[in-house]
Amino acid sequence: MTEATGTPFVLNIDKGLETSLRGFLRQLLESENIDALILPLKVPSGDSFAWIMLNDAGMVDDAVSFPATMPVQGAKALRSLTRKERGELTVMALMRPCEIRAGIELSKLGQVNTENLILATYDCPGAVPLQDYVSDPAAAEKNFNKFFVTGEPDNNAKPVCASCTDFSMVDSDIHFGYFGVREKGILVIPGTSRGADLLKKMDLQSDSVSELLPVWKAEIDKLTEKRSSARQIAFKKTEKDISGFTGMLNVFANCIGCHNCQSACPVCYCRLCYFGSEASRTNPEAMVNEAVKRGGISLPPDRIMFHTGRLAHMSLSCVSCGQCTDACPVSIPVADVFSFVADQTQKTFEYKAGRNDGKPLPLRDFKKSELPGVHKLVKDAEPGGASHE
Amino acid sequence: MSSINIEKSAEKGINDLLRHLLGTGKVDAVLAMRMMKSSGTWDLALVTDVENLAELKPLAPVMTVNASQVLSNLSLSGKKIAAVLKPCELRGFVERVKREQGSLENLITISHTCGGVFPLDLVIEGSVTDLLHKYEKVVATGEIPSNIRDTCKACEHFIPMNADITIAAAGECKPGHGCMIYINSDKAREALSECGGQHGNALLDPVALEKLAAARAKEREKLFSSIEKDCSGLDGLVNIFGKCVGCHGCSRVCPICYCTLCDFESANFDYNLPYFEEHLARKGALRLPPDTMLFHMGRLTHMSFSCVGCGMCSDVCPVSIPVAAVFSRTGARTASIFDYVPGRDVSEEIPVMVFKEEEFPELG
Repeated sequence: MTEATGTPFVLNIDKGLETSLRGFLRQLLESENIDALILPLKVPSGDSFAWIMLNDAGMVDDAVSFPATMPVQGAKALRSLTRKERGELTVMALMRPCEIRAGIELSKLGQVNTENLILATYDCPGAVPLQDYVSDPAAAEKNFNKFFVTGEPDNNAKPVCASCTDFSMVDSDIHFGYFGVREKGILVIPGTSRGADLLKKMDLQSDSVSELLPVWKAEIDKLTEKRSSARQIAFKKTEKDISGFTGMLNVFANCIGCHNCQSACPVCYCRLCYFGSEASRTNPEAMVNEAVKRGGISLPPDRIMFHTGRLAHMSLSCVSCGQCTDACPVSIPVADVFSFVADQTQKTFEYKAGRNDGKPLPLRDFKKSELPGVHKLVKDAEPGGASHE
Repeated sequence: MSSINIEKSAEKGINDLLRHLLGTGKVDAVLAMRMMKSSGTWDLALVTDVENLAELKPLAPVMTVNASQVLSNLSLSGKKIAAVLKPCELRGFVERVKREQGSLENLITISHTCGGVFPLDLVIEGSVTDLLHKYEKVVATGEIPSNIRDTCKACEHFIPMNADITIAAAGECKPGHGCMIYINSDKAREALSECGGQHGNALLDPVALEKLAAARAKEREKLFSSIEKDCSGLDGLVNIFGKCVGCHGCSRVCPICYCTLCDFESANFDYNLPYFEEHLARKGALRLPPDTMLFHMGRLTHMSFSCVGCGMCSDVCPVSIPVAAVFSRTGARTASIFDYVPGRDVSEEIPVMVFKEEEFPELG
């Protein structure tokens, strides 16, 4: 968990958690310290949410601070706003920690400009799978409410949420903490000097901070521990499932090559994915020759290659938001695999996706000597190497 | 025209036919649906070894991808390929050929009277084999199974157009009548001249399919009028497409949307700040990313008159938008304005590619 920068404040929650938080956001907008807010709103059909940028303070009351599901990864909203032009509008976005982390990764990749963005997060209880929400919003809200209260995602949450250890304060400008203290107030914690400066301009009280802060921290530690052990169990299972080529083949057996996982991914920002490009198109004659060699092939070709390629391209920046699984039309647990592999690749480079600590993306950081173990791996994998003996 | 009757079930008959084509070297490879015995999973397979034909289920009501997409590239291999296609896949391919995305030259296209396909959800449940028996029974009698794609229920083009070979699988496939194979081209006649079975001169009898045609027309009317009600006016469209997450999966699985980079994913749709400021000033709010509706309207404009109603778009939609129903209804209307039927004839030009000095004077 990221440490606070400056003094935290406390919002009183006379009107309930959700309404009180919205009230504060409305105040922020009316104070003209920010020009616009990005918040989720229910879509007209009532069975999903959409990101809305608004400067009409009256509309804040229609927004939802804690949406039960994540239809569009918030980083994509930030990208669409700032990819082309930085702009002068000061916009505050309230999103889940994994959405802000993805936004930070995109800023390192030159796809989001955070200069005039105020990134705000909240203690994330997890989210219900998108399909579950769309097919029965009322039941999904009810399920969400259970882990919204406990902070412990259960079987009705997205599987990656239950094993997410970055559910609280990340490198955002402002964090709203309420786990463990939700009956007493919302902690408003500045994470950057920009966040601290903004909060100073607001009329906020900090009387009960010394009382609430330790309780909140203890609760976050407790929940982190629980989610950590769930994470280890989930990773063990995934490791077993995908081990070896046969494992990958089994897990991705139903893949139809629609690439929904890639287009729902906040990190996969390429307009034209290499695996959808002409460059990756298999030579048709070679394709038939390959079929002749093997008696037959499965089409479209290179479906496993697409997933391993995507892992190679983006796993270092994967924030485990689970959007890939939500978007898969054939229910492949894509996020379980990507989250597991991302954990390994990020550990290898001592890198953590979504941190704003000045560390460059590992693949953009040239070191003359690096990963000596890889040399051995390559050697062992060569014909006649150790692994073949 | 000529025909062959193989005294077996349609499924066994078509396997004999493919065995003949591949075994005698009339083709180098066969493209068809397959069920992997080991895992029970389905895929589209290109088979070159006669031994592997047994795994193919060419008539199974499964479509993991619209095969016309795969066939585009494959058809340029210079090899002879027998492709077993659903009627909408063949029509999709014809539309692609018109757009220079493939060639019919080295293909023997085999299609069949189609009873419709199961949605992908059902396919991945692994229950296809269990459902198949009931499906075949219902389809053989010219009725509509209840568990097929919505657009299949409403499809009026279940008799293949311009296939080299047509197999009777729906409506005219009574047990004991054998597998009827109709030969529609010289290329097919040559390839099948020595194929086993009773050769004759029978013609596919559309009268036997009238019951199915009538049932489909009724379903079509039902689907289209419900969609018309749901998506009329801007409010209706917002109601249907408002929950779109912008993944564009619908366009990627579409047999007609062949663009490597869709316009709506290009830099043309990245906006400068004034765009956002103007929207904020005018409406107090705007959606991010923008252009959710524009994407669907744009796609309807770009491809609806060529829509073959295969239903892939609905199957891959992560938020269950009835994309295919909207697109096939709109497609039916735009195509009919131009008296156009997508996939009917490869020499028929795409309406928007034809310049007429005088056209739609009422619009001027």
